[in-house]
Amino acid sequence: MIQLENITKVYQTKVIETTALDNISLEVPEGEFLSIMGPSGCGKSTLLNIMGMIDEPTTGQVTVAGKLVGNYHSKATARFRNEQLGFIFQSFHLINELSVIDNVELPLIYRKVSGKQRRQMAEAALTQVGLSNRMKHFPSQLSGGQKQRVAIARAIVGQPRIILADEPTGNLDSAMGNEIMDILMRLNQEQGTTIVMVTHDETMARKTHRLVRLFDGQQVS
Amino acid sequence: MIRHIFQLVWNKKRSNALLFLEIFFAFAILFLVLTWVTRNLRLFSTPLGFETENTWIVHLDFYDAEDTLAASETKVRLREELLAMPQIEAASYGGDVSPFSGSTWSTNNDNNGFMIRTHLIFADEHYKDAAKLKLVQGRWFDETDRDARYKPAVISKKLFDESFEGRNLQDSVYTINGENKIVGVVDHYKYHGDFSPEYNVTFFYKPSSAIDMPNLHLLLAPGTPAAFEEDVNRIVADVTGMSDFTIEHLQKSRDLDARSVWVPMVSMLSICGFLVLNVALGLFGVLWYNISKRRAEVGLRRTLGASRAEVSLQFVGEIMIVSLLALLLGVVFAVQLPLMGVLEGEIEAYDYYVAMGVGAAFIIGLVLLCTLYPSQEAGRLQPAIVLHEE
Repeated sequence: MIQLENITKVYQTKVIETTALDNISLEVPEGEFLSIMGPSGCGKSTLLNIMGMIDEPTTGQVTVAGKLVGNYHSKATARFRNEQLGFIFQSFHLINELSVIDNVELPLIYRKVSGKQRRQMAEAALTQVGLSNRMKHFPSQLSGGQKQRVAIARAIVGQPRIILADEPTGNLDSAMGNEIMDILMRLNQEQGTTIVMVTHDETMARKTHRLVRLFDGQQVS
Repeated sequence: MIRHIFQLVWNKKRSNALLFLEIFFAFAILFLVLTWVTRNLRLFSTPLGFETENTWIVHLDFYDAEDTLAASETKVRLREELLAMPQIEAASYGGDVSPFSGSTWSTNNDNNGFMIRTHLIFADEHYKDAAKLKLVQGRWFDETDRDARYKPAVISKKLFDESFEGRNLQDSVYTINGENKIVGVVDHYKYHGDFSPEYNVTFFYKPSSAIDMPNLHLLLAPGTPAAFEEDVNRIVADVTGMSDFTIEHLQKSRDLDARSVWVPMVSMLSICGFLVLNVALGLFGVLWYNISKRRAEVGLRRTLGASRAEVSLQFVGEIMIVSLLALLLGVVFAVQLPLMGVLEGEIEAYDYYVAMGVGAAFIIGLVLLCTLYPSQEAGRLQPAIVLHEE
């Protein structure tokens, strides 16, 4: 489902050159739940961003859902990302001025789905994460766990084949973290969604099919 | 997408309120100033109707003359002596109400079965040539009018269109200020200046010799030097024996009168320009601030599939919706002025509507100009970077 070949990412300023990823090759088959672990600054999020086509590798090739990624900034790539990928972030990234259901509808707006259909799909996604009773609420009225469930609903509303989760339980206590993890595992098992999750939490990582460890931008296991 | 932007604008109504008010008041001020400017330019675009270049007026005073017959003869002789000079092409006596003097004599009546409102001006048979008036119908006064049964009158085209359109002027007698026969129609006569509304005007005839016709209009040959005033001064003094007369250069009076409108108009436009600059800076600042506060949102939208153009369009759209709503409210208020006929006669509905259109178009252009660059910059933000900042 995702193929990374010899991925290198170098951040260059006038003064310093930092290698965030050093020749990483990785394949994530369809339906796999993969976790990526490693210390802070080892390149986990950079790797996830490259898989999500929101960051460009310095060298190497990325293939997502059978498509070799070319121009990272094109409209076509944006559309492809919208249709194939769902994103979950540690800090939720909900828009505070929009209600829960409007936040969930967001990816569908860029897919030009009609208003009525958007609403139906968003309601279904929120029901799936157990938040059907919070649709009209605003993010500021929700707990951390509920916010992350809204973010998951937003990630799955467009029925993507891949979900990229960047420390989805990082800002939650263990009970809420487990709740989120259960939802992700259910998505993977019941719908066959490919999930790549960056985490610091060994316990969570062990629940996934495979664990990849990074250290100083290199894959160590 | 538009519904989504409306929703965002509505949900952020408190933070948008200030911008809304700023646009509303900017439009209101711009509308008022532009209405005044449009009115002035509209009035300026219509011809004055008489010559001011190379035209002098000698202001005389015969009212205290003990021997009125001698005073009349003096007046006639003065005109003849001046006309004998090659520099003077025409000379004519007029009443107390002279161009740019600010004096007005007006009347109105409905004695004829329809309303007549007009300003009244006395002129002799030579005034048409001295002022280079343009007749569109009939004739100017002549010698035969001295003994006419009914007082002859020449009216302006505006008065004709307003009160006499479709009526028979030929041989008809109308009560204007007494019974009159209208003998001719002049095209324009804006004697209060370039920026004055064109009032209805009626010229009544009085011969040159009449002592209540104190103003002597002189049309000079082109290229006559200013020094010629000394000669005129000497002849007038010699013939009349007066020393308290004045010689007015009509073009200077016209320029002075026009300046009294141009100067405040330019000042008001400058103040408006300053206001608009402030609004522009405000808009620019608000948008930069919004974008810097919403970098993560931009990153999120790009990650979720928004193209650069869609992100830019969203920011332009948000500001544009607030601006259009503010303009809509402004137009609702502004349109009341022509509908209620505020300052009717001075300001026409046309002035209000032009000012409304130009003001709204200007504000929209300004908003677009100020939002385009920051919005484009927002579209260029790299999602991976801005999401990481959060």
